[in-house]
Amino acid sequence: MKFSRVYAIILRYFYLLIHSLDRLSDLFYWPTVDLLLWGLTSTFFKKNAPNVPMIMLMIISGLILWMILWRGQYEITVNLLEELWDQNLVNVFVSPIRLSEWMVSFLFIGILKAAISISCAVFLALLLYKINIFRFGFYFLPLLFSLIMSGWWIGFIVAGLILRFGRKIQTFAWSVAYLFAPFSAVYYPVSILPNWAQKISSLLPMSYVFENMREIISTGRFNLHSFLISLALNILYLGLALVFFKRSFEKALDNGLGNLAY
Amino acid sequence: MDILYVSHLTKKFGEFQALSDISFSLKKGEILGVLGPNGAGKTTTMQMLLGVLKPTSGQVVYFGKDLSKHKEEITEKINFSSTYISLPRRLTVAENLYFISHLYSIKNRKERIQKIKKMFRLDEIWKSQVFSLSAGQSTRLNLAKAWINFPEVLLLDEPTASLDPEIADYIRKFLLEQRDKFNISVIITSHNMAEIEEICDRVIFINHGKIIAEGTPYSLAKTLKTSRIRLLIKDGLKRTIEMCKQQHLRFVLKHRHIVINLQQHEIPNFLKQLLGKGIIYEEISIDKPRLEDYFLKVAKK
Repeated sequence: MKFSRVYAIILRYFYLLIHSLDRLSDLFYWPTVDLLLWGLTSTFFKKNAPNVPMIMLMIISGLILWMILWRGQYEITVNLLEELWDQNLVNVFVSPIRLSEWMVSFLFIGILKAAISISCAVFLALLLYKINIFRFGFYFLPLLFSLIMSGWWIGFIVAGLILRFGRKIQTFAWSVAYLFAPFSAVYYPVSILPNWAQKISSLLPMSYVFENMREIISTGRFNLHSFLISLALNILYLGLALVFFKRSFEKALDNGLGNLAY
Repeated sequence: MDILYVSHLTKKFGEFQALSDISFSLKKGEILGVLGPNGAGKTTTMQMLLGVLKPTSGQVVYFGKDLSKHKEEITEKINFSSTYISLPRRLTVAENLYFISHLYSIKNRKERIQKIKKMFRLDEIWKSQVFSLSAGQSTRLNLAKAWINFPEVLLLDEPTASLDPEIADYIRKFLLEQRDKFNISVIITSHNMAEIEEICDRVIFINHGKIIAEGTPYSLAKTLKTSRIRLLIKDGLKRTIEMCKQQHLRFVLKHRHIVINLQQHEIPNFLKQLLGKGIIYEEISIDKPRLEDYFLKVAKK
């Protein structure tokens, strides 16, 4: 692995960021709007359901943690699409870059941008609602790590599908993560889901993370067991997603990377 | 010494045979033209030479090493430019070259980029975003990108398409100069036959996924025996037409200009016959067969 090649891709997307209003709005605008919308909603809930403890903190924390997952998957899929829109994939892969270096650069970009978005959201939550999601110490950090891993495996699966089916399924890049949201129990406990949905939920590492988040908020206790389950599931799914992505790339090479743009 | 060796390269897309068992080589310092009509298999060949399309069978060997097994090492020493493949459109010319220079882990990066900027006359567009460039400026940027790693082998897909004649001429001269100076090897596709004749040491013709001819531009053109003789007839136009018809010669008439297709060895006798019939012409020119004629002939097959 050569760092200069990973840096090249990071640089390419940094340059894109400073020239693109849409990319900048992804980074700041949507987190701000989400926070305002959900913050005000949860303020309303708090006033009308004073018996539900820490409802506001739970919703805001759920929102911020979900951004991590979303950012992780978005950077993989949309950056792949960006290369297809620009017809630049051939230019990248006629260079000495390895597939693994390309993938690692997307992971780095995801982490960097997630850190920026989250910092912005955490600051706003503190400023607007006096809510500090890190008030329970740094218990949240392992949860953030687990969630970005979830974003990565979802991202690599969607990117693999795009490599196989081309731009006609590009809408998956924005929509697929949200398919998992209802089963991940971002804003509510898994127990309120119907039985069949709870079974799906038990297979998703994100549901353990969000349950853990609520447990930390309500009891101040970090559930190591549930964290380890989420980590194990993430490692398994990420491994499978990487194999799928690599095979999809081989398939794309069979058809020609130059033909993928269409 | 062969710097590139292509052996029995075949590509099938499902049932469609895009390329069928082609083999050729490229010597150090050689400029090789790959010609053929649209859909002949040129782009498929180029993509396989670059490792962005996997062959169904066959082998691509650069510097004695198999591309499929040593891609990283080989791609450090080759590069590519195509008029039809763009660089990131929202990035400026400078930004594109900077990020690509990191992809190739270029040493003395700043110096190299400044040199490239000068070589390809990029000063005026240095801070322009790619989407705002004209087709010609975009082609210059693509060529600059191809030079960034100081390649030993360059693959150029229609490098001068959409360039104005002055810049196209500059690029051709530049290519020859670079070859002479650094002994780089080049594979080039182009539909501009005059350009191929000017710069290529050798050409291969691909049609229907097969190599149908190979040789120097001169030797291929020489296989055609028919020349064109152009005459501006001062007196005796009707007699000239009659003579052509009698001898079943193909001709085209425009006012007093007549262009007659003739076998090269028949030209002296034909001119003698014109004199014998008292036909007077003011101007005469004889066009020997060119690569373009050869292309038209083989493309029809």
